[in-house]
Amino acid sequence: MSAADTLRTIRLGFFYMVLNLKTIYRQPAALFFVVAFPIMFLVIFSSLLTFEIGIPEEAGGNVPVVKFSQYFVAGIMGVAIFGTSFNLLGTSLAIQQFDGTLKQLAATPLPKASFFIGLVGTALTYTFLQLVIMLILGVAAYGIELPDANGWLTLIWIVLLGVPAGCVLGIAITKVIPSANAAPAVIQAPFIILQFISGVFFTLASLPSWLQWVAGVFPLRWIAQGLRSVFLPDAYRYAEPGMSWQLELAAIVLVVWIVAGLGLSVLTFKWDRSG
Amino acid sequence: MPAAISIRGVSKRYGPVLAVNDIDLEIESGQVYALLGPNGAGKTTLIEILEGYRQRDAGEVSVLGYDPQRQRGELNRKVGIVLQRSTPMEGLTPREMLNFSARLYDHPMNTDEALELVGLTEHADRRGSQLSGGQKRRLDLATSVIGNPDLIFLDEPTTGFDATARRQAWEVVRGLTERGATVILTTHYLDEAEHLSQRIGLIKDGRIIFEGDIAGLRREMETDTRISWQPPVGFELPDLSDLLPEWSDLEQGPDGRLALPTQTPTVHLARLIDWSRDRGLEEIPELQVERPDLEEMYLELVDDSQSLEQAEDS
Repeated sequence: MSAADTLRTIRLGFFYMVLNLKTIYRQPAALFFVVAFPIMFLVIFSSLLTFEIGIPEEAGGNVPVVKFSQYFVAGIMGVAIFGTSFNLLGTSLAIQQFDGTLKQLAATPLPKASFFIGLVGTALTYTFLQLVIMLILGVAAYGIELPDANGWLTLIWIVLLGVPAGCVLGIAITKVIPSANAAPAVIQAPFIILQFISGVFFTLASLPSWLQWVAGVFPLRWIAQGLRSVFLPDAYRYAEPGMSWQLELAAIVLVVWIVAGLGLSVLTFKWDRSG
Repeated sequence: MPAAISIRGVSKRYGPVLAVNDIDLEIESGQVYALLGPNGAGKTTLIEILEGYRQRDAGEVSVLGYDPQRQRGELNRKVGIVLQRSTPMEGLTPREMLNFSARLYDHPMNTDEALELVGLTEHADRRGSQLSGGQKRRLDLATSVIGNPDLIFLDEPTTGFDATARRQAWEVVRGLTERGATVILTTHYLDEAEHLSQRIGLIKDGRIIFEGDIAGLRREMETDTRISWQPPVGFELPDLSDLLPEWSDLEQGPDGRLALPTQTPTVHLARLIDWSRDRGLEEIPELQVERPDLEEMYLELVDDSQSLEQAEDS
């Protein structure tokens, strides 16, 4: 591919992203379920559960005390990062496979790469928006403390790897969606299970080891753990499997998902199931 | 002019059904070519092989010099496709859709021009969800031609339209063809083919059973004119056969009505009149001279074809 072709591919990917952003922006249902849901969860949990966790020195402990919301924001941001891309792509792609939208698109000179660039860009944009809203709300209303410089860096690479990984799963799950109507149900089932086993609502250590293994195959567990390293004091890593934040492993798992998964799901992607 | 489409020995099988059976076809540049046939005749399969959606089992295909199976990317830059089903772009306006589509091509028309061409100028800024079926169809047309394609595929552009909407759609299609592109139109309406195309291919059971212009199709399907009347009470059939022995084709319906298929209706009508005058019959009861129109003959021809639709769908 020449430099001009590469530029054209990126440029068209950008325009496709803009088109997608508009389409979703104008669908109240998609906007609510995909974008507003995790934010709502943050608001509800942080409002209901106002206790603190940790064992202070006065009590003879050395686990720094933090608000529950400080713990919860990590998990729910993980849901936003993974879920927005997974939900958004899974649902909208399945619908477009069945209603002929992608069949029509396949007849245009839009490069396939531009199409997927546009999708990932769409998910990144909406995720970014969610995270900004969550941080502002969290800091303003629930006393969440912002990360240090190192934490910000971690947050950035987790978003940049986590969103494409979620996209890969969103593209992949369209293969098992039997009809457009079934899309939301088929997508929500694994998504809800993953949330419960990936350390979003309960700590990983409280799960039986086989469930930890299952969760370990998927990106959400690694995204959530990485985010806890961003938002929690370092001492909390002793509560994690291996007593470590396992950031290197998280990066490896996410990169493997993106490289292997994206290649495979793009190659086997069905453009037309409208027949 | 070189052929826009040239195919040789193309076949496609779905399980036991041969949906496209060893078809050869040449379509000249600049023509409007109608591929006509009943549902399930194989026309959608054939068209989708040409468009690059389906893989053929056998044969050679050249569309604008490209093999759609291997060079679809190049082909897509020069071809516009209107699918049978409209693309539901609920949240977007025609202008937004067309602005995006225009960016995909090397030498597009501008959006206003495309809107004007299909008569959507005044609806350009309405959401897709507020457009009528006919308006959506016109947006499909605009989307497929905004790249100034050399070749346009129109797959049943007016199916499901009422008479007025069809006439309007025809006007739009005529506007497109005046720009000089080759147009391949599939339809199961004979009058649509007659109004829009210069050449017709009639496809049935996966084979092209006729190719030529509409006048040629008329000649091909030429059938006899029928003279029919109600014989007077007490009239005996042998009576007539004795008099006019060449009327051996005379048919009698269940109501007793007599009918004579003939290629020389004037000669036979004169004889019939003479014969009845000889019998003092001034008026021949319920006399009719009729010739089935092309539509009727076409329907008869395509009527008995087996449905491949399910096979095509799978």
